[in-house]
Amino acid sequence: MKLLIEPSNKNKLYLDIVDGVILPLDDLAVESNIYFTLEEIEKISKNYNDVEIFVKINKNLMNNDIDKVRDILIKLDKLKIKGIFFYDLAILQLKKELNLDVDLVWNQTHMVNNYKTCNYYFEKGVKYALLGKEITLDEIKEILEKSKIISMVEVVSRPSVAFSKRKLVSNYLKNEGRALENKLTIKEKITDTFYDVVEDKNGTSFYLNRIMNGTSIIKELFDNECSYIIFREYGLEDNFFQLIIDTKKYILNGCLENDYNDYVDKYKILGDDTNFFFKKTIYRVKKNG
Amino acid sequence: MDKIELLSPAGDLERLKVTLLYGADAVYIGGEKYSLRANATNFSLEDIREGCQFAHKLSKKVYLTLNIVFHNEDMEEVEKYINDVVLCGIDAFIVSDPFLISYIKSNYQVEVHLSTQNSTSNYEAVSFFKNEGIDRVVLARELSLLEIKEIIDKTLIDVEVFIHGAMCTCFSGRCALSNYVTNRDANRGGCAQICRFAFSNDGYNDFTFATKDNNLADYIGDLIDIGVASLKVEGRMRSLYYLATVIGTYREIIDNYYNNSLTEEKMSIFKKRLDRVANRETSSHYLLKEADYTDQYYTGRSEVSNQDYLGQVISYNKDKKLLKFYERNYFEVGDTIELFTSSGEHFEFKVEKLYDEDMNLIEVARHPDNIYYLEVDCDFSIEEYAMLKIVRRLKDEKEFL
Repeated sequence: MKLLIEPSNKNKLYLDIVDGVILPLDDLAVESNIYFTLEEIEKISKNYNDVEIFVKINKNLMNNDIDKVRDILIKLDKLKIKGIFFYDLAILQLKKELNLDVDLVWNQTHMVNNYKTCNYYFEKGVKYALLGKEITLDEIKEILEKSKIISMVEVVSRPSVAFSKRKLVSNYLKNEGRALENKLTIKEKITDTFYDVVEDKNGTSFYLNRIMNGTSIIKELFDNECSYIIFREYGLEDNFFQLIIDTKKYILNGCLENDYNDYVDKYKILGDDTNFFFKKTIYRVKKNG
Repeated sequence: MDKIELLSPAGDLERLKVTLLYGADAVYIGGEKYSLRANATNFSLEDIREGCQFAHKLSKKVYLTLNIVFHNEDMEEVEKYINDVVLCGIDAFIVSDPFLISYIKSNYQVEVHLSTQNSTSNYEAVSFFKNEGIDRVVLARELSLLEIKEIIDKTLIDVEVFIHGAMCTCFSGRCALSNYVTNRDANRGGCAQICRFAFSNDGYNDFTFATKDNNLADYIGDLIDIGVASLKVEGRMRSLYYLATVIGTYREIIDNYYNNSLTEEKMSIFKKRLDRVANRETSSHYLLKEADYTDQYYTGRSEVSNQDYLGQVISYNKDKKLLKFYERNYFEVGDTIELFTSSGEHFEFKVEKLYDEDMNLIEVARHPDNIYYLEVDCDFSIEEYAMLKIVRRLKDEKEFL
C-alpha cells in the first residue's frame, strides 16, 4: 500500500518521504488550496524519478476549456506522470481520441461509490479510482474485493463537501456591503459544525472545518490490499510531516497488530471524526404512500 | 425538425394525468426505488403501468428516473427492477450512473437519457456518452445559450434543458452538504436542501446561498431555434395547481411561437401567470451571463405562498350551468375568479351563486377539500381538472392578475 499526499504548500512537497504526490493543475483543478502550472509539474516530474506524480484536473469543464485541456493532455502524456485525476468525462473522451498513454484516476468526488461502476470505468480504460468519502469502510472493502480497478482511499483530510460555479463568498459580501475576501468560516447552527467556504476563479468550495481522521482504518485497508491511501495537507499543516513519517513506517512494517494502538493513539490528536467510514447515510425519511 | 418536447414532472399518478392533459408531451416520474426524490410519493409498478397506458393513449411518453448515485447495495436488485419497469411500458430511463447505460442498452429496446446529476457541461463529455449509446443528455444547469448551441452543433445529440423551477446552488452531483449536515444522502434522493439553510457567520448576518428559481419563459424561442429537443420543468413534489399552471402556460408559449403568434401582449400575460404561481423570485441564471449576486437570496428562507388557487373542478353540467369542484382556498360571492382548462381556455367571471354540497345557497366557500357548486354560464366544455383561481376579491378590490 502506497501513501499519496496532496500538499498545501508549494515549497514543501515531502517528495523524499512519500510514495507519490497529487498536484492540482492551475486553472483546471478545483477544491484545492494550491495549484501548479504545467511548467512546475514538468520540473518536479523530471527532478524526482522515484516519486509517483499524479496531476489533478477535476474541474467541471466548459466548451471553452476543451482546446486548452487537449493541449495539456498531449503535453502531460510526454511527461513521467503516473496518472491524471479527472472529474469530467471529457478527459476520458480526449484520452481515447488522442490515443494517449497516460493513465487516469476516476475522481468524481461524491460518485465513486460502487464496484460495478468502478469495473465499468476499468473496462473503459481507467486504471485507478479515488473512492467517495461518503461510503462506509465495509463498502470500501467490498469495492476492493470485487472491482478490478486500482482503488485509492482518502484517509486523512478536511473533506471537500460541495463545489459551486457561483461566486458565493463575494456575492454574499457584496450584498452585505463588506470588503471582499475569498474565504469565510461559517457554522451550521443545529449541528454546531463549521465549514470553510473558499472562492477562487473557478467557483466556490465547501470544506468541513474539522479533520476526517481515518488513521484507525489504515490497517484494514492494508489487510484488504488497498493500493493507495491519500492524505491531504490542507488544514493539517502542524502535524503533517510527523504523520507522514509515522504512517510510512507503520505501512512498511506491515501495519502490525502490535503497532496499531500506538499509531492510532498518537493520532487521536487529529480528532475522532471518522467521517462516514462507520456511519451509513440515510435517504428515505418517510415511507412511500 | 420535430416540434420541441415539453417535459413535465409528475410526483404521482394524478399529477401525471393532469400535466399530460394540460399539454406536456412527456412526463418524468420516480419509482419507489433509485430516484433522487426518495421522499416523494413516487410510483409503484402498477402506477407506472397505468401511467404509461394513459400517456400512450394520448401518444405521449413517460420517463422513469433511475438517477441515484448507486452504492454497492443498490446494485443488488436494480436489474430486476429495470426489467419490471420495461414490462410496464416505460419509454425511457433517466440515469446518472454510466454502468446502467450499457446494461440497459444491451438488454432492452428502450431509450436512456443522461441525468443532469452528471452535470454534463461540454461537447467532449457529451460525445463520450453518445458513444456509450445514450439517446439524450440533460445538460448541466450552468450552461449558457451559446454553450448549449455549440454542444448541439458538435454532437448532434438530443439535448434536454431545464427551463423552470428550483435550481441547485452547486453543480448537481457535486454536493454532499446534506450528507454532512443531516446524514441524508444527497445523491441517493435524500437531499435536505442545505443550500436553503442559514449559517452563522461570526457576528455578521447569516450566510445563505439559496438560489432564486429558474425561469426561461423569455427564451423559449431561442431554445427552439438552436435545436434543443426537450424543455424540462422541475418539480415532482409541486402541487397540481402549480403544475397545471406552469405546464399549461409553457404549452401556450411553445404553440404560439411555432404559429408565429407569440405577441408581447400574450407573453406579458403568460409571464404574469408564471410569476403568480411561483413561491420564489426567478432568474435566467447562466443562460445569458455568469450567475451573480442578483441570482441568490441572502435572508434565509424566502418562500412566499398565496391563496390564488381556489378549487379543482370535478364536473360541469352545461344544462344546469352548474360547476362542481373541490375547494382549496377561501372565496366568497362577489369575488371575481378565473376558470382555466387543460385545453387552454381561460374564462373570467364574478361569483354570484355559490352552493354547498347539499345545494344550500351560501355566501362563502371556506372549507378546503369540501365539495361546492358554482353557477357559471360558460360556452365551452369544462372537463375534470379544470382549475379555479382568484382574480379580484370583493373586499379589497385587489387585482391578483
